[in-house]
Amino acid sequence: MALTPEAGSSARSWGARTLSRALPGLKVYGIALSLSFGVIAVISAVLGYSVPEVLRTLVFSSFRSFAGLKSTIKISIPLLFTTYAFFIPAKMRFYNCGAWGQMLFGGAMTAVVALLLADWNLPSVVLIPLLVITAILAGGAFALIAGYLKADYDINPIVSTIMLNYVAIQCVGFFCTARGFLDPTGGYPQTKLLPSSAALGFVGGIPYSFLLAALTVLVVSVLINRTRLGYEINAIGYNPVAAQSYGIDFRRTLMLTFFFGGALAGLGGGLEVMNIHNRLLVGFADISGLELGALGILATLVVGENPMAVPVSCFLMSVLLVGADRLQRTMQVPVELVFLLQAMIVLLIVITRAKLSAKR
Amino acid sequence: MLVEMKSIRKVFGEVVALNDVDFSIEKGGMHGLLGENGAGKTTLMNILYGYYQMDRGEIKFEGRPVKVLSPQDAIRLGIGMVHQLSTLVPEFTAVENIILGTEGRRLSFSIGGERAGILKLCEEIGLSFPLQVKARELPAGIKQKIEIIRALYRGAKLIILDEPTTFLVESEFDQLLKSVKRLIDQGITVIFITHKIREVLKACDTVTVLRKGKVEGKIDRPEMDRERLVKMMFIEKDIKITESALPRVQLPDCPRSESPVLSVQNLSVEAGEKGVGVNNVSFDLYGGEILGVASVSGNGVKELVGALIHPSRVKEGDIRVKGESIRGLSTLEVFARGVFFTPEERVQEGILIEGTIKENILLGHHGEKRFLRHNLFINWEEAGKAARKTIDEYGVHTPGEDFLIKRLSGGNIQKVIIGRAFVGQICLLVTHNPTVGLDVSSVEFIFRKLVEIRSHGDAVLWVNEDLDELMMLSDRIAVIHRGELKGIFQRDQFDKYQIGLAMIGA
Repeated sequence: MALTPEAGSSARSWGARTLSRALPGLKVYGIALSLSFGVIAVISAVLGYSVPEVLRTLVFSSFRSFAGLKSTIKISIPLLFTTYAFFIPAKMRFYNCGAWGQMLFGGAMTAVVALLLADWNLPSVVLIPLLVITAILAGGAFALIAGYLKADYDINPIVSTIMLNYVAIQCVGFFCTARGFLDPTGGYPQTKLLPSSAALGFVGGIPYSFLLAALTVLVVSVLINRTRLGYEINAIGYNPVAAQSYGIDFRRTLMLTFFFGGALAGLGGGLEVMNIHNRLLVGFADISGLELGALGILATLVVGENPMAVPVSCFLMSVLLVGADRLQRTMQVPVELVFLLQAMIVLLIVITRAKLSAKR
Repeated sequence: MLVEMKSIRKVFGEVVALNDVDFSIEKGGMHGLLGENGAGKTTLMNILYGYYQMDRGEIKFEGRPVKVLSPQDAIRLGIGMVHQLSTLVPEFTAVENIILGTEGRRLSFSIGGERAGILKLCEEIGLSFPLQVKARELPAGIKQKIEIIRALYRGAKLIILDEPTTFLVESEFDQLLKSVKRLIDQGITVIFITHKIREVLKACDTVTVLRKGKVEGKIDRPEMDRERLVKMMFIEKDIKITESALPRVQLPDCPRSESPVLSVQNLSVEAGEKGVGVNNVSFDLYGGEILGVASVSGNGVKELVGALIHPSRVKEGDIRVKGESIRGLSTLEVFARGVFFTPEERVQEGILIEGTIKENILLGHHGEKRFLRHNLFINWEEAGKAARKTIDEYGVHTPGEDFLIKRLSGGNIQKVIIGRAFVGQICLLVTHNPTVGLDVSSVEFIFRKLVEIRSHGDAVLWVNEDLDELMMLSDRIAVIHRGELKGIFQRDQFDKYQIGLAMIGA
């Protein structure tokens, strides 16, 4: 029988055990990151850019100025929500590729409710919670369509969620240009500004949605690791047949999971609308032309199993995105180079992890 | 010598699977490879078939040294292997499965022509099976025959059968033996991997016994006897073995409860994906009793067990536990009434494969108050305690309760599955083929456990395909054929032949 050495020795100190457990993981990231950056260095050299300059800009743009750090955090927050929207259903081996659509739909409904209630002049203490709940319910309900289609008609959620993305993007387009909503001065498909009492505001340049994101990290970690629902989600992911034989309600768990995932994406969308743009506009769930749903999938692949690692992975992804933006503006390096880097990092992490775990 | 393997060594991680193993067989005949689970039988044959590479040693085939780097190499040499689990493509017919991989670089070929060839081959060997039915619809015994023909179709001179009887009923095993004898008459050599001594005694011309990655010896047919093989297989273990090479466990006298623990009345259940449903079955099961259920796979027993655990599947009739109907209850509500079960497929249905032992022990108990806080949170301390208790009491060989269950051996996994049933109070254990594929010491453990439940005054519904096992430990045996109860035999009426006839509906 293959026993891992670290599991057997309870005599060693906690520190040593933690380190030896974390070591294989660190090795994965070490190998993948150095390989990826190596390739980027080679490509930039071939394209005629200064390699140290490219790498420095890419990695340190977020940390050189407070503005850099702020924009990194600003990107991380919506990304965190779409990442969890994928991460949670992925725990039960169902893949929600519709975090983007759920975020768009959640954001759209938030804006619609805020604009419809604009004349009531509700105070912030009433309006903001109301909009947050709207965003949560809208995103959750939108994802629930896919959950229902799987539970009752056995339609693969990968397909249904991707298709629903197109529905959501049309919804956003519709509401942005709907009569009474459209901002005629914008010259861009976007709504009028929301009432100012709907704005969440900033503290020291950091959006208040940061607090909700932090709370989300806590809630999801507790949900996955500590609650009965989390256990049932994991159990179905480990083996759906056994889970059902021993009394786990597949349909109920599936629906709850999709609702929960979609609710987080919807919340992320609502917060973007309320806190960053103060209006609904086409493309609010994209960063540098990349949709946040897909980035969330990448961020999940990077962390693997641990929900607490999601914020780290989202932050590092955002560091690269900010660096990419800066590269393009200061050195005219095509931004695609960084997308290549991101894709490579994810692929290499997944491959190295598989290789290392196969060896054990 | 047809095969000579010399000083074969194979190490997995820190485990020495094979330690300088010498194995050789003559051309022709049936050669047994006997040993407990984990003795290295399958590893040795996987090396011969090119699945694994040995760390050290040499292989000679037909007197020439050979390098077998992949199964393709093995096939080219004329070695075929039939694995324990079917490797057929479920959506392909027998013909398609047999020719799969032989089409080479041709762009087109006629299936009709191939079929004629396959039919001729089947006739020569005396095997027959439906050629046009998809593999997923065929029973295990037929699939094995297809795999044998597939190996022969690729020109195999040597066929390795890896524990071929695991999923076969006695009569299917006899049929398989008959076909194998025909093969041997045609000059084919067969290696037969097994952990069952009685099968070796019944079928093999020579036997090589492996123990803990080492060869204990090779014996020819005239010198084979049970005592000797038992000694070679388990030197340090003190296990008594019956005529049919089962561990000997006594069934003590035990009073039967006044009223039935389980009462099944005119039960009908719809058929599942394959096989038949349950049709108007009634029986009572009392406390202090083991009721064996004998049935050929695919005759509705799986559906019967399913209805006990998922009463929503009941179409007609009633199931009562201690007098109260469980119709319409959820699985967890059934468990809460003291019923628990262990499923037929140990890994596919029984465990959370990617989960830890702790998570697996909790399964089915995750709705119980003592494992929950405020009905919402799992009380992992309690779950850990329960898991540690099971590990200690059942002697599960593991470093701890947070160890991944998939790294345990089959016997240890089964201990976790059985142990899980005793985390709560039970009055009825429904268990389906609990001993399949386990070595003698694990089987003995499970037998003792079943008797323990019975001595405690509780009931066991024991669905089992091995009739010898059932006859040793059941108070009564119910026979089910095509979803109908064909009769219940009392212990003093047990007769293998009569029960066997009832099982096939005669």
